Amino acid sequence: MKNIFFNICKLIFLAVIIVSCEETEYSIPELKPGLKNDCIKHSLGPNVLGQNIEFAYAMALKPEEGILLKAEVEASIAGAEGTYLENKSYYTNGSGINVGVEVGEASVSSGNKTTVTFNKDTCAATLRYFYKVPEEARGKMITFKFSATANNGESVSYEMGPYKVREMDMILDLVATNEEACYISISDMAVYNAAEAAEKPDNIDLVYLYRAIPGISFNHALVSPSAESQYLPEVVLPSNVNNKSKVIKAWNVQDQQLARLHYGVFVDDSDIEQIDFSNAADFAINMKKESGLWVETEDGKYRAYIFINKVKVDDSSEEMTLSLKRLQVK
Amino acid sequence: MKKIIKNIAVKKYVLPVSLVFLSLFLIIRCTDYPIDEDGLLITERAECYVSNFELLGTDFQTVRTKAPEIDTVAQTIHVEVFYGTDLKNLYPQFSLITDAKLDPKITGKVDFSDIENPKQWTVVSGNRQVRKTYTVFIAVQEISQN
Repeated sequence: MKNIFFNICKLIFLAVIIVSCEETEYSIPELKPGLKNDCIKHSLGPNVLGQNIEFAYAMALKPEEGILLKAEVEASIAGAEGTYLENKSYYTNGSGINVGVEVGEASVSSGNKTTVTFNKDTCAATLRYFYKVPEEARGKMITFKFSATANNGESVSYEMGPYKVREMDMILDLVATNEEACYISISDMAVYNAAEAAEKPDNIDLVYLYRAIPGISFNHALVSPSAESQYLPEVVLPSNVNNKSKVIKAWNVQDQQLARLHYGVFVDDSDIEQIDFSNAADFAINMKKESGLWVETEDGKYRAYIFINKVKVDDSSEEMTLSLKRLQVK
Repeated sequence: MKKIIKNIAVKKYVLPVSLVFLSLFLIIRCTDYPIDEDGLLITERAECYVSNFELLGTDFQTVRTKAPEIDTVAQTIHVEVFYGTDLKNLYPQFSLITDAKLDPKITGKVDFSDIENPKQWTVVSGNRQVRKTYTVFIAVQEISQN
């Protein structure tokens, strides 16, 4: 009895193996008819004023069904000047380089809409959309509606968002030079020379200086105008430049938008808000490339994160290239 | 039949015997290693010293110019920090002998700016019977006169 049971089990087991090992021939999936579309957001990190939010919008239909006529993007808030939809469709060549192929007229923006009209006989394309965040969008939510039309009368659309636009401002690559353009204004997001600083002393929050002092590492420094003279050696400040800004040194905060390096770190509004400046210093010496500085202006109106992109010392000059994100907190 | 009776007898005693062993294990475990008010094990170790000391700035980088001088007899730690170190916002880090703990606990930034009145921490041994108070002396790097 036992033997019969085991034999039946063996047979079933063999049958299962035989059935499961049967080869199924691969066939290319059948494309469903009709115009199709898809979209991805390319840009990462907080959506900041004056910066681009980038999308890639793909649309296609079967060649025998027709060709593409028009691609359009409608933003809930009209983009700033510089907003555009690419008229090139990209593919990646054998060397990994993206090669653009022109498929339509240059995009036309009217109100909230940006349109590309196809002028090539094409049934598939991926267009990139660059939305420059306008002042009107500060602190608001924005949405996008991508749409495509084919010559067979079909049209499709794809909604993206909502995305929150941050309150912060951002500026890249300010260059401060030792003993020349060395007065940094957080409120103006600018660097001034002594004559300019004398005209707006209330706006000067930091002084950049470079000193090579034997025995210590002073080097590149960002110092509040009110700091002790030992941190401003041989510096003669323009009259009334005396703000007491608070600063906190940072390292390993290589914000991707400021550094334009792929660290995957982003400083957001909430990061700047949460920094505790009580008891903070008013000087930061020996600042290095890729280091950072959290700053609060004397009146507490602005807070910022400064990223040091580059420092340079040569025979003719010493300079620091810095980028910053600034948030008005009062 | 004998086999079945034997099995039942074994099953009958397995549970009580297991419970007795578990209770014994728990009693022994709790008796040997009591815990202190911080939930840390109180052990038999009486050793009580600082094996290493680190001082970090707000950027979590060291501010020491060289290795700290730790005197376990005099119970002092001498540290020289870089010129321009923000003494009000430093994170001290102590490495202690096994099972020891620090009092008071370090919960965040410490203000070392009052150099005349150096900060003190007490190391408590693993058996919580020995307490040694260490004084941390900070010196700021000076500008070379050469």
